[in-house]
Amino acid sequence: MDKAFELQRQVRNDVRTLQTYLTDLQNWEVEMKRKEAALNGEFEQDLPPVRSKARKEKPVQEKKETAKRIKASDYGAWEKFDVTDSWQEKACEEVDTAEVGPTSLDSKKSLPAKMEKLREEAQYEKERGNSFVKQEKWDDAIACYNRAIELVTDDAIYYANRGLCHLKKDSLHQAEADCTEALRLDPTYVKALQRRAAARERLGSLRGAKHDLHEVLKLEPHNADARRQLGAVVARMGTKGAKSKSSPTSESNPSPPTKERPKIVELPPSAGQLRQEEGAEQRWREGRGEEVTVIKPVKKPPHLRSKRALRHVPIQEILLGRTIVDKPATRLEIVEIEDHAHGDSNNNDSNKLKQNSGIDCDGDKNIGVIGDRFDQIDPNLVNSDKVSASMVAPTNSVQFILEWKSLKGNDAARSDYLSIIEPSKLPAIFENALESDVLADVLRALHAHPDTFTRHGVGEYLRSLCRVKRFSALAMFLSATDKELLRHMLARCRAAAQLSDSDVVELKHKYEL
Amino acid sequence: MDNEHTPQIITHIEHNMNHCLFDCKWIPCSAKFVVIGSLPKGTGILEIFEITSGELKKVKEIERPVSFKCGTFGASSDVERRLATGDFKGTLEIWDLEKSCQVYITKEHTDIINSIDGMGGNIVNCGAPEIVTGSRDGTVKVWDPRQKGKPVANMQPAQGETRRDCWTVAFGNSFNDAERIVVAGYDNGDLKMFDLRTMSLRWECNLKNGVCFTEFDRKDIPMNKLVATTLEGKFHVFDVRTQNPSKGFAQVLDNSAKSGTIWVARHLPQNRDVFITCAGNGQVSLWKYKYPEQRFQVDSTGVAVGVAGKLQRLQRMVISSQPINALDWNRDHAGLAVATAYDQYVRVLVTTKLNLQ
Repeated sequence: MDKAFELQRQVRNDVRTLQTYLTDLQNWEVEMKRKEAALNGEFEQDLPPVRSKARKEKPVQEKKETAKRIKASDYGAWEKFDVTDSWQEKACEEVDTAEVGPTSLDSKKSLPAKMEKLREEAQYEKERGNSFVKQEKWDDAIACYNRAIELVTDDAIYYANRGLCHLKKDSLHQAEADCTEALRLDPTYVKALQRRAAARERLGSLRGAKHDLHEVLKLEPHNADARRQLGAVVARMGTKGAKSKSSPTSESNPSPPTKERPKIVELPPSAGQLRQEEGAEQRWREGRGEEVTVIKPVKKPPHLRSKRALRHVPIQEILLGRTIVDKPATRLEIVEIEDHAHGDSNNNDSNKLKQNSGIDCDGDKNIGVIGDRFDQIDPNLVNSDKVSASMVAPTNSVQFILEWKSLKGNDAARSDYLSIIEPSKLPAIFENALESDVLADVLRALHAHPDTFTRHGVGEYLRSLCRVKRFSALAMFLSATDKELLRHMLARCRAAAQLSDSDVVELKHKYEL
Repeated sequence: MDNEHTPQIITHIEHNMNHCLFDCKWIPCSAKFVVIGSLPKGTGILEIFEITSGELKKVKEIERPVSFKCGTFGASSDVERRLATGDFKGTLEIWDLEKSCQVYITKEHTDIINSIDGMGGNIVNCGAPEIVTGSRDGTVKVWDPRQKGKPVANMQPAQGETRRDCWTVAFGNSFNDAERIVVAGYDNGDLKMFDLRTMSLRWECNLKNGVCFTEFDRKDIPMNKLVATTLEGKFHVFDVRTQNPSKGFAQVLDNSAKSGTIWVARHLPQNRDVFITCAGNGQVSLWKYKYPEQRFQVDSTGVAVGVAGKLQRLQRMVISSQPINALDWNRDHAGLAVATAYDQYVRVLVTTKLNLQ
C-alpha cells in the first residue's frame, strides 16, 4: 500500500516539475523573441589573424595585415553589415578593393589634391545613391552612401540621406542614429531634423520628435510639413496616457508647451507655488546650491559609443528627513532617462558617470529633486503629492500589486494611482491575477474618492473590471459591504449620467447585486 | 540516486517532416532551430522552425540542388548567426539565414562532408573563428571564414596510404588564441588528435569499431574529457588532462547497452560532466561522469598516468523507432534539446531536474 502511495506521489511530483519547466520554457520563448529583436547588428570583434597567414607572412607584413583588418571590421564593417542581397555582397568586395585606394592616399593626406579627389569620389557615390533613392532601391542607395561616408566622413548630407533610406526600410534606430550624426555635423540641417522626428515618432519617442519639430519650426517657421507632423505628434501625445504627462521632465524641451502643465500636477498648488516650484526645479537641474555635480546625459551614435563594459555602480540609500523615497523614485528616474536619451534605450554611456562626492547613483538625484521641490509645499500634501507625482501606470499585475501594496493605508493615493490607469487596460493588466481582496480594495478606492476619476469616470472602471478574466468567480466573493458600495457607486454614476440605465442593469447583473 | 531526483526526458514536440533529416542546430540567442535534410528528389533543404507555446512554426526554408549533411553555428558570432553547412558533394557553404544567401562557398572536398564543427565565433579570446570539416575523401580541413577558397589547414593521409572515410570531427582545447586541437574519427576505428598550433599529430588510437561521433566536454578550456562513440553500442570517455607518453589517455568504456550504433553524444552546455548519447534503436541515455579521487597518479618512473572515472546512467528513454542521428542542446535554456531521427521526425526534448549534485 505504501508503495502505491509512494509511486503516486512520485508521478505527481514529476508532473509538477514538468509543468513548471514548460511554463518556464514558454516565458523563455517570449524572452528570446524580445532579445532577438534587440540584436541590432552592433558588434565588434578583435580576432586573431587567419592561421595560414600568421604562419606564412613576415612579422612586419603581418602587422600591417591585422591593422588593415581591424580598420575594416570597425565602423566600416559595421556599416557594410547592413547590406542585404547578393548583389550587395559583390558591392562589398568592390568596396574592399576600392578602399585600398583611399587608405594608400590617406598616408599622404597632407596633399589637398588628394582630399579633393576623395570628395569628388564621394560626391559621385552620393549621386548614384540619390538615383537609387529615386528608384526606391533603398539597399543599393545605402551601399552608395556607405561608400561616400567611408571616403568623406564629415559631410552631413551623406548621413542624412542614408538616414532617409533606413527610415524607408523601417530600420528606425539606424535612421535615428544617422540623422543624429548628420545633426552633429550640421545642427541646422532641417531635413535631418525632420527625418529624425519621423523616426522618433515611429519609435514612440514622441517628446524627442516634438523637440525636433520645434527646432525645424524655429529654423523654418513656414514649413507646413513640419507643422502638420507636429500636430500629429502632439495629438498622439495627448492620447498617449499619463505616462508621458506625469513625467516631470517635459521642461527639458527648449520651448515647453504650457498647455500640458496643468495635467501634470495632481493637486495644483497656487500659481506662486508653481513658479517657485519651477524655479526650484531649474535650480536643481543646474545643481545650484547643492553639493552635487550635475551629470548631463550624453548622446552619441552607436559607432562612437564606448565599447567598454558598463561599470557596476553600488547604490546606497540616503535618507532625507521624513521623505523616504524608495521604489517610486527609481521609476521616476527611468522615465527621465528615456526622455534625455530620446528613445534610444541602449545609450550605454553610463561609464561616463564619474563617482562624485554628492552623488552615488542616479536614484539620489531624485531624492534631491523631491526633497527640494516639496519642502515649500504644505506638509499635509507632501505625502500624497509625492506619491502620485512619481506614479507610473502599470503594465502588468505584478507592478500593480507592488505599487498597490506600497500604498496601503493611503486611500487617496490609491485612488490617484487608479486614476492614472487607463480603465480599458485593466483586463490586460490583471489578466487572471486579480484577487478578490484586491478587487474589494479597488472598489473601496473607487468609492471613496469619486472626484479623482474625472478623466474616465468611475463607471468606466466598473465596466472594465467586469471584463477581467475570471471575474464572475470573483464577483461571488464580494462581501455585503462591497456590494453596498457598488450599489451606491452605480447610483451615483447613473445620476452623473456616466452610465445609461441598460449599462447599470448589466453591471448589476455582473456584480451579482 | 533515488527516483525523486532522477532527470526525466520528455518529448515535448514531435513533428513529422516527410523527408530525410541529417542534422539540427539551435540558432544562438533565439527559440529557433534549423533542420538540415534532404528531399526525396535529392535536393537539400534547410528549414528554420520556431517553438511557440508547444508548437513548431516554420519560419523559413531554403532549398538547394545538393543534399546538405551537417551544419554548425560555432564559427559565427551571436549577432551574425551564420550557419556553415557541408553537403553531399563536398561543398562548404556559410549561410546568412536572414537573407537566405550564401556568404562563403568553397568546394575543396571531393566527396560528402560527413561532419562539421565550428569554433571561435561567440567566445572571445578563444582563437580565430574556424570551421573544421571531415569528409569521405579522407581529409580533414580547417577553414577560416575570412580566407576565401582555401583551407587554413589540411590533414590527409600520406601518399599511397588508404584514405579512410572520416565520420566525425570536433574542436577542443581552444583556451587561448594559439592553442587548438582537432579530433577526427574514422570508419576503421581510428581516432586522431591533431594539434593545430604545432601542426602535428598529437595522439592516435584505434577503438576497433568505426568512430561515429566525438566531442570534447568543452571546446574553450584546456582539454578535459573527450567522448567518442562507435558502432555496436560502445562509447569511450577519455580523460584528456593527463597524457602519458606510452599509455596515452586514461579511458572508461561503456558497452552495457546493446543499442546498436551510438550516433551522437552531446555534453550539456550547463554541466560538462553530463552528456546524452543517442543510439540506433532510438534510445537516448543521459550519463554523468564521476571523477576519481585523484585524476592522475605518478608511476615508479615519475611519469603521470591519468586515472579514469566512472560512468553513471541517469536516465534512458526510447523516443524514436529509428536511429537518432543528431541532437543539439540549447545553450540558453538548460534541458531543452532538439533531435532528428531517421524516422523523419524532428523532436524537441525537455529534460527536467538537470541541476543534479
